[in-house]
Amino acid sequence: MAAPMELRCWGGGWGLPSLHPECLTVMAYAKFSGAPLTVNTINNSWRALKGDVPVLISEDIVISQPAKILNFLRKQKYNADYELSAKQGADTLAYIALLEEKLLPALLHAFWVETENYCSVTKPWFASRIPFPLSLYLPGKVYREALNRILLTRGGPPLYSFAEVEAQIYRDAKECLNLLSKRLGTSRFFFGHTPTTLDAFVLGFLAPIYKVSFPRVQLQEHVKQLPNLCRFCDDILTCYFGLTVSGHAPAGQDTADANLQKLTQLVNKESNLIEKMDDNLRKSPQHPPRKLTTLKLAAGGEQNSPLNLLSP
Amino acid sequence: TLCFQAFLQMCNLPVRVVCRANAEYMSPSGKLPFIHVGNQVVSELGPIVQFVKAKGHSLSDGLDEVQKAEMKAYMELVNNMLLTAELYLQWCDDVTAEEITHPRYGSPYPWPLNRILSYQKQWEVKRKMKAIGWAGKTLEQVLEDVDQCCQALSQRLGTQPYFFNKQPTELDALVFGHLFTILTTQLITDELSEKVKNYSNLTAFCRRIEQQYFLGHDKDSSATVAARSAKRSLLR
Repeated sequence: MAAPMELRCWGGGWGLPSLHPECLTVMAYAKFSGAPLTVNTINNSWRALKGDVPVLISEDIVISQPAKILNFLRKQKYNADYELSAKQGADTLAYIALLEEKLLPALLHAFWVETENYCSVTKPWFASRIPFPLSLYLPGKVYREALNRILLTRGGPPLYSFAEVEAQIYRDAKECLNLLSKRLGTSRFFFGHTPTTLDAFVLGFLAPIYKVSFPRVQLQEHVKQLPNLCRFCDDILTCYFGLTVSGHAPAGQDTADANLQKLTQLVNKESNLIEKMDDNLRKSPQHPPRKLTTLKLAAGGEQNSPLNLLSP
Repeated sequence: TLCFQAFLQMCNLPVRVVCRANAEYMSPSGKLPFIHVGNQVVSELGPIVQFVKAKGHSLSDGLDEVQKAEMKAYMELVNNMLLTAELYLQWCDDVTAEEITHPRYGSPYPWPLNRILSYQKQWEVKRKMKAIGWAGKTLEQVLEDVDQCCQALSQRLGTQPYFFNKQPTELDALVFGHLFTILTTQLITDELSEKVKNYSNLTAFCRRIEQQYFLGHDKDSSATVAARSAKRSLLR
């Protein structure tokens, strides 16, 4: 019915469909609202590399900012928010503002400004996907824009050194993550059982921090201490994007899984042992053949006879 | 400025307002206003709230964790949209900048310093707008954003007296400060204040706070004089 829609965005990695927060937001919203988008990752093309991603193209219309793209999708009747009350709609706007003011500077810093992260992860990743000689120029341009944005919005007195600005933006980001975690609580999504615009935005900003393996990971460590946020990200990625969750389970879950595995192995060993004993028993002429199909841990006659066999 | 006065009034703390030309330079963060208590100087709403809290006065103690998260989110919305829109209108809209903002900003200084300083400030604001992506916006788009923000605030307020029902909080002070300023400051066009006036519960909210915290205190005449002389009152 609707015209075919194409979304152009950066590619993905580390278990994410895209590394760019705004692209990820739009893709998530499209999944939530059922909008049929063809996603084209920009890898080796000169077009649209001047920076504006994500870009939605539908027939002759070209739309470039996430808020405008989501508005367009809603007008095409792909609305993920129709069950929300007016107050919840207002809350959505407020929380998105919180994300942009408090979390985005730290996200930009971790990806583009933190030297170790930029040199070992971000720049090689982007450069490998852009044709030469743009690969020499574009990452640097994005770095300068990110730095500019951080300094102009957060720099200035009473913070006089860049280290102080960095410390402040990470403090703010951690506070923002704590607030999001408190707001999410134990629900599956921020407004009940169905995902909405706010869930798309939170995923867009949170998932890159959570999933991408950087050398300097203080924000990622903080996210892992908030298990409901980790569960939220993993849930959406597996249910809506069909991606397997690789590696980054929260710390507590890891040990529980390992314990469960060990327990399963032990139980299996025990059952094998008992099967062997039963086999011996069957070979002996004393009792009629009996097939042990399940592991019976309850004390009973069957258990006693194999033990009697073994005892001297 | 009004949001700070409102906040301090809500905490029942007496405040004296003084206007100084070099106020920006006295402030520790370069931002106005700031409060001067004993031998301490604190500026910006966040630090002031924390300072007042450390002295034992807090407006948001009665809120639970989720409500506190909501309050912080709404405060960011106001800062993100309303404050940026006000800055845009003052400095990036050429007509307003030329006729109102430049004269007002440069008024304490002699020529040519007044022009130099106000152009410098304009350049700074434009740089910031470009960094956050507002430079490409037209006036209509900015007004639409303000409308969206007011709609959100109006929906959140509903029919309650304050944003978190019975007790005023920092959010109420902040919203009052911005909305009152928008409603009463004379600009070239009335479009901005018209956007706010579309939401009757917001204008009623401002009127209520003005009555309760500013006009009710006759002894604190400095606060009311400052509020009245610079701007018209909402009550006629």
